[in-house]
Amino acid sequence: MTAPHIPRAIARADEDAGRRPWPPKPGPGPGRIAPPLVPRAIARPFLAACAILAALPLLDLSLYTHNLLTRAYILIAGALAWNWMGGLVGQVSFGHAAMFGVGGFVAARMMLDVHLSPELCWIAGAIVAGVFALGAHPLLRLRGPYFSIATIGVGEASRVVFTYWERFTGGATGLSLPIDADFQYQLYWWALGLAAAVAAASVVIRRSSFGLKLLAIKADVDAAADVGISATLYQDLIFALSGAVVGLCGAMSASYNSFIEPNDTFAFERSIGFVLMAVIGGIGTSLGPALGAAVFVLVDTQLLASYPKLHLGIYGVLLIAIVLFEPLGLTGIGRRLMRRVRRPAPPVASPAERA
Amino acid sequence: MARFADLVVSAVLLAGLYATMAYGLGLIYGVLRVVNLAHGGVIMAGAYVGWVLFDRLGVDPYLAIPVVLVASFALGVAMYHVLVRRLPRGAAGGPASLLLLFGVWLVLRNIAYLVFSGNDRAIQTSYSSRSLAILGTHVSLTRLVVLAIGLVLAIGLHLLLRRTLLGRAIRAVAQNADSCTLVGIDVERIYLLTFGIGTALAGVAGVLFATIFSFNPASGASELLKSFVVVVLGGLGSMSGVVLAALVVAAAEVFAVLILPSYLTTAVGFLLLVLVLVLRPGGLFGHRVLA
Repeated sequence: MTAPHIPRAIARADEDAGRRPWPPKPGPGPGRIAPPLVPRAIARPFLAACAILAALPLLDLSLYTHNLLTRAYILIAGALAWNWMGGLVGQVSFGHAAMFGVGGFVAARMMLDVHLSPELCWIAGAIVAGVFALGAHPLLRLRGPYFSIATIGVGEASRVVFTYWERFTGGATGLSLPIDADFQYQLYWWALGLAAAVAAASVVIRRSSFGLKLLAIKADVDAAADVGISATLYQDLIFALSGAVVGLCGAMSASYNSFIEPNDTFAFERSIGFVLMAVIGGIGTSLGPALGAAVFVLVDTQLLASYPKLHLGIYGVLLIAIVLFEPLGLTGIGRRLMRRVRRPAPPVASPAERA
Repeated sequence: MARFADLVVSAVLLAGLYATMAYGLGLIYGVLRVVNLAHGGVIMAGAYVGWVLFDRLGVDPYLAIPVVLVASFALGVAMYHVLVRRLPRGAAGGPASLLLLFGVWLVLRNIAYLVFSGNDRAIQTSYSSRSLAILGTHVSLTRLVVLAIGLVLAIGLHLLLRRTLLGRAIRAVAQNADSCTLVGIDVERIYLLTFGIGTALAGVAGVLFATIFSFNPASGASELLKSFVVVVLGGLGSMSGVVLAALVVAAAEVFAVLILPSYLTTAVGFLLLVLVLVLRPGGLFGHRVLA
């Protein structure tokens, strides 16, 4: 029988989640085995950071920084959502631009034709993007390189289809959206709210039994199936969630630009962007991708604005360097530093003491 | 009916190119269990090498093939030695190898863009527009040559794998690398050579591609996709399977013109990929490891 897999799957998933080994050592009492979903050590600084960021525009914030932060929030949400699929389940998607575009265009169309409030249009875009992601159900049977290459296909195919579907997307000229300057300014808080919500969701998912199941699927699909974790069901769920969030990002981003155009929205570079943000920040860590997205936006606007021709090359070199030297990206570097700080080198006895 | 014959002929001709594109990807996957995501980039690079030799030095693209073969072999060996060698082996290396080789692709793309700009290029020889009358249809000479070279490469690769000591070692490593170390095969060296041969074949495919189609630094995504479809359909590693699969893919693409609007034909490769992966993940001809 397949029973021997059970401890293996759980132990591996536990190891990944950085939890206690299985079976748990008997504690002092009948206390809970699972750690709290949101530990206080994370919750307080997180809320404080959100409050500070939310208050920033009330102080004297330049329009440039305002713009930069808004874009960063949207990308942070997107990168974290990509990481649910690429990091937790280990299915690297090179096609998340498809959901970004679907969400963006559905929201844009709703805004232009149905004249709903932007918020409702965003939600509609997110839902449709989530359903679109569910359409990838047959692809989720694929694992590893098969899945990744198929997603390149999904991304490219949707770019082609949406570019030629002029009645819906306006073709290469794109669509202009009726967004007034006030709302565009307020989008700062919407985007911040989205990023905060997705970050909180990332922590909760990672620490919940749902996240543990996803990690088990990543570690060993067959072993996970043996303990009753349906890879199909949970992958569908998380992919739809991830797609919906990325679709919401697309919708918000279209509103923020008050313009959307298929070739740019569905660009391969955008899909690469999601991968890069997660990899730079730390693929598979709960909040690393947020850091990666922030760095990505900074690099994109500061460095690459001056060297646009080196765009892809710099990202390529970064990918290679991270994979070879620090697979957990910035999070990995951070952890190394923390370890060094916490456990300083054993003090070397001075010659005087020795003597 | 004449139109039907036309389509059949063009499918066969296209199949030669697709098979050539797929050999390298299939070989590397069969032996190293690594999907070379830089494959499309190597094809693009090979196309540019052929174009430079033709445009600057006036070398006939088909005579340039040995040069490209050597150059892309060296590229492959370098890629393996500097990067791929350091990847974790086995399942753990999956996402890492994908991301790493994807990075290599981005770098290749950027280099091509810096050196050659983003303009479309094509190799236009004096005989590029010449055609022959075969089976009542006109067949472009370059496409015929590409098919011939594709078949020669298939036979050559088949002989290399079946008749030489190196080929036997490669097949042995593909089957069980651990046992190979026991009988004294330097597995690391076989990996190195296989990766080199695989990229060399991709480079040659690039030159052939450049004599038929135009290309730019962003080319490679759909080539990677099609190569992958062919490899999966062909059952990973058997030469005859790859050739037949290339025929299926080319035919699907050519005949799609009849039923689909023209802009959707670019999506055919992708549709086929999904169909194949979902319906026959073991390939059309069963799952065989580098037979």
